Amino acid sequence: MSTPLVELHELRKSFGPLEVLHGIELAIEQHAFVVLVGPSGCGKSTLLRMIAGLESVTSGTIVMDGRVVNRVPAKDRGIAMVFQSYALYPHMTVRENLSFSLEMAKTPRDVKQERIESAAGILYLDALLERFPAQLSGGQRQRVAMGRALVREPELFLFDEPLSNLDAKLRVEMRAEIKALHQRLRSTTIYVTHDQVEAMTMADLVVVMNDGRIEQLGPPLELYDRPATVFVADFLGSPAMNLIAGTVAESEAGPVIDAGDDLTLPLSPGSAVRPGAEVVYGLRPEHLRIGDGPAGLAATVSLVEPAGFETHLHADVGGQVVRVISTERLDAVPGDSIALVPDTARVHLFDSRTGARL
Amino acid sequence: MVSRAERAPHPMRESGMFTAGLRHRVGRFLLIGIPLAILVIWTTLPILWAVLSSLKESLEIYESNTLLPANPNLDGYRTVLAMRGFDSWLFNSFLVTVVATIVPLVLSIFAAYGFARYAFRFRHILLLLYLVPRIIPRVSLIVPLNSLMSDLGLINTYWVLFITYTASAIPLSTWILVGFFAAIPKEIEESATMDGANMWHRLRRVILPIAWPGVVTAAVLCIREAWNEFAFVLALINETSMRTLPYQLYMLKDSMGVQDYAVYNAFTVLTVLPLLVVYLLLERRVVESIVSGAVK
Repeated sequence: MSTPLVELHELRKSFGPLEVLHGIELAIEQHAFVVLVGPSGCGKSTLLRMIAGLESVTSGTIVMDGRVVNRVPAKDRGIAMVFQSYALYPHMTVRENLSFSLEMAKTPRDVKQERIESAAGILYLDALLERFPAQLSGGQRQRVAMGRALVREPELFLFDEPLSNLDAKLRVEMRAEIKALHQRLRSTTIYVTHDQVEAMTMADLVVVMNDGRIEQLGPPLELYDRPATVFVADFLGSPAMNLIAGTVAESEAGPVIDAGDDLTLPLSPGSAVRPGAEVVYGLRPEHLRIGDGPAGLAATVSLVEPAGFETHLHADVGGQVVRVISTERLDAVPGDSIALVPDTARVHLFDSRTGARL
Repeated sequence: MVSRAERAPHPMRESGMFTAGLRHRVGRFLLIGIPLAILVIWTTLPILWAVLSSLKESLEIYESNTLLPANPNLDGYRTVLAMRGFDSWLFNSFLVTVVATIVPLVLSIFAAYGFARYAFRFRHILLLLYLVPRIIPRVSLIVPLNSLMSDLGLINTYWVLFITYTASAIPLSTWILVGFFAAIPKEIEESATMDGANMWHRLRRVILPIAWPGVVTAAVLCIREAWNEFAFVLALINETSMRTLPYQLYMLKDSMGVQDYAVYNAFTVLTVLPLLVVYLLLERRVVESIVSGAVK
């Protein structure tokens, strides 16, 4: 296994008395596409800015290529960064924006020319080189921001919520472009977003952060299929996982979850859970099926959201709202009585006190 | 299909629209046109009066109340330009203005950058203290300054004007520039840092070009301040050859016995003219910078 390009050891950050990062441990391999994802205020952008050198390190170490860079100024770390607001130089043309970093590095003229043309070609900026940022659309500005990072041929790319300012359609397009670009250049990338769809679709490695800590990290589908905590279970997936608090009870068919109000949730027969344990029962919306007969959980439809390929359904089950995704065209209307059949093999159980997976 | 008759606006509706349009135009004229006209007259009339009076004959101003000169001539200007020492006064004004614009501007750029970009202890109080020299009436500074400069042996030197004019201009230009620098998104500068720029490059290549309208505004105010300054030069200079144009303009009144208003106004016009040219040139540059900069 190769040496990681970036290693973070016991990394902490405080602003005055307030500690916002509590001992981050992370290793990022060469060529990886790592996405830091989490809600606003979880510390992901601060962590990225610390790697960039734009924020100081309170304690711990940042190692790049085997060298501690805690005190290396941002300009000397050889990192390129794309900002949320693009941060283009408004008084320079696209060409000048692209060439600025090369001028700072005193790159020979012919190399500079070649790199600008290459980046412009990759990002379809050829026709825009003489324009000013104010004359570009949001998507074009985003491309210039990426081009500016690209011309430097850095070892590490940092993206700080780069798609947040784009409309939904353009965001999907740019998401694909960034991923394609990474697959082509194989440059190590750390990408910050609060959008779990971006995290799931782009990353080789997703790092879910919460309240200044890494909640879980791993390949996207592993996190989706086996969330380590209630937080990750709730955060990844859209619509979110159904989470219902209850107590493990015994029945003739094996253990079940008593969620109160006569609501009993089934578990797979072999579940190794201790009767009486307080748990959170988690089930993704696509793992609930609408039954053909009366067997299953009695539910009342409260909302139907046809989304084209699939239909999202909100139903009231024993006083709890559960979300269901069906790929069938449903003719249900609010108020209809239905039966929901959980796929017990896909149930996630979490300790209700610690939130950890059982 | 819509027939022509159907498409034609109803006569009543058409007249209503006409009335509304007229009301809008009259309202705009009352709210914008009239105040603007008053402002233009208010500001240009004294200059116009000075220009026209400078073209009159020596005693004409005492004899008639008309605005236009009976026999327009340039005698007043000839007299002024022939004055012994006029070229030194012009040079003095020019020199102190150049120094008292460039030096405060350079110092203010660094000071404002520090105030706008770095968080340090007592930052706000320091910025407020910067304004103290502007708050204290200039006249009250004259006696202590005179005494101080006499002790330093600087009276009747260019240094005394450079120092006092520069000190007087720095607070104003710093305050203006702090506002402009602080308005530049921090991310643009961070982006330059990531691009490998050090502080000097960031300031010179990124911050200053973006804040150029602010720099020009500060420069114009420094130029105006230095060119028109009167109190300090009056208190700190007493040699005729060291006078500046405003000082000499004031002295003209005493030296001429019976006031020759044609000469007086010709001197005024010649004093104001360079400033006017600078204003017009720089104003266009400010507008150009604002348009091409297009900061989001």
